[in-house]
Amino acid sequence: MEAKRLTPATGPRPTSNWIVLWGSLTLLLLLVGLYLALLWAPEEATMGIYQRIFYYHVPAAITAFVAFFINLVASVVYLLRRSRIADAWAVASAEVGVVFLTINLITGPIWAKPIWGIWWTWDARLTLDLVLWVMYVSYLLLRQLTPRGELQPRLAAALACFFFVDVPINYMAIRWWHTQHPQPVIFGGPGSGLAPPMYVALAICWMAFMALGYVLLRLRIEQEMDRHALDDAQRALLLEDVGG
Amino acid sequence: MADFRIAWATLTRDVRLELRTRESFNAMLFYALLVVVIFSFAFESEAELTARVGGGLLWVAFLFAGLVALDRAFVREMPGDTLTGLLLSPAPRAALMAGKFVSSFVLMLTIEAVLLPLFAVLFNVSSEVHWGGIVLTVVLGTWALAVTGTYFSAMSIHTRHRALLLPLLLLPVAIPAIISMVQATQVFLSRSGVANYWWKLLFGFDVVFTALGLLLADVVLDVD
Repeated sequence: MEAKRLTPATGPRPTSNWIVLWGSLTLLLLLVGLYLALLWAPEEATMGIYQRIFYYHVPAAITAFVAFFINLVASVVYLLRRSRIADAWAVASAEVGVVFLTINLITGPIWAKPIWGIWWTWDARLTLDLVLWVMYVSYLLLRQLTPRGELQPRLAAALACFFFVDVPINYMAIRWWHTQHPQPVIFGGPGSGLAPPMYVALAICWMAFMALGYVLLRLRIEQEMDRHALDDAQRALLLEDVGG
Repeated sequence: MADFRIAWATLTRDVRLELRTRESFNAMLFYALLVVVIFSFAFESEAELTARVGGGLLWVAFLFAGLVALDRAFVREMPGDTLTGLLLSPAPRAALMAGKFVSSFVLMLTIEAVLLPLFAVLFNVSSEVHWGGIVLTVVLGTWALAVTGTYFSAMSIHTRHRALLLPLLLLPVAIPAIISMVQATQVFLSRSGVANYWWKLLFGFDVVFTALGLLLADVVLDVD
């Protein structure tokens, strides 16, 4: 009898269609991107084969920044409206952002070692990336350590506002701090301007990452909403037991 | 004006509680002293080294001691569940939060006032350094930590692993403030350059986060 009553919340999922569609599109883009980045795009003049990691490094960063921006908007909307869907967007985008920023932070040193001769330097951009990563990991930890319910999204949204205000201050502090130290040996990255095929490879890789990010985001949002539905159903059952 | 009186009452109440019980203050102070003493074992306490990394050492010690003080800010309300009492009162949350900001600030400054001379002695800080500059940096930096830390302390009382979560929240957000306070202190310890830029940055951090903490006070101070 209980099973029957729970049917609406756990019934056939509308997920199946879009996940097949978007999943295959993402897979296709990732494969094409892999081909373009590793084989098709011309070899860079000074950095040679090492430059190819750039096609993953940069799209990962941009995708992560987009995710963090979504997190900020969703958090502000949550504080104003207290809506579950806004919070689902916030948690999903923070997780997706951390994943992509992690990819960015791992691919960076792999490139830097053969090119700069060092794994890491406290250069302004690297430091800011790391600070952003540290912030959103602490955001996810806060969510993990707060009991579920109305409190968790509220605290998380407040923390997201703190991050937003903090980033520009960080930017100024880190830039000034950096300029006080000796400059590391930098070739200036891929420099100004890319060859047109490089742009194509970069654009396809970025689209692939954005599509992947979107699939993960949407799956995570649905999961979060399912969890709410399950919690509600459980609460309703409990109340019914108590009531009679 | 009424808000100001509420903030003042929150502050004086905290200070009075601290003066009466005293043991938490004593324990905190002793902990801070231990940190400085352990540092002088871990690092060579020569004047030359102090001029190079003294700012960092001093602020890590302050930060450790400060975290204990900040954790107390709302934990103090737990034994008698006085927090619920505060929250059931019609007092504006921002006024309560402001009182808590200042009480954390006062407690941290008191500990630092004892710690700073001890640090100067143990690490052979040259007597010719610009003490006024260091004191101003300490005041601005402590306010930065007190404001953000007190807000996160209010956040963390609702969570599991409260004492662990506070530094996890505070340290990432406080990074620009920590860079600024360490660099400003370093300028004076090494007697080179000026700290104006760092002071401006710290002051900006203080103003922005005080405003944000008060604005979002009722997000964390709410009856559940």
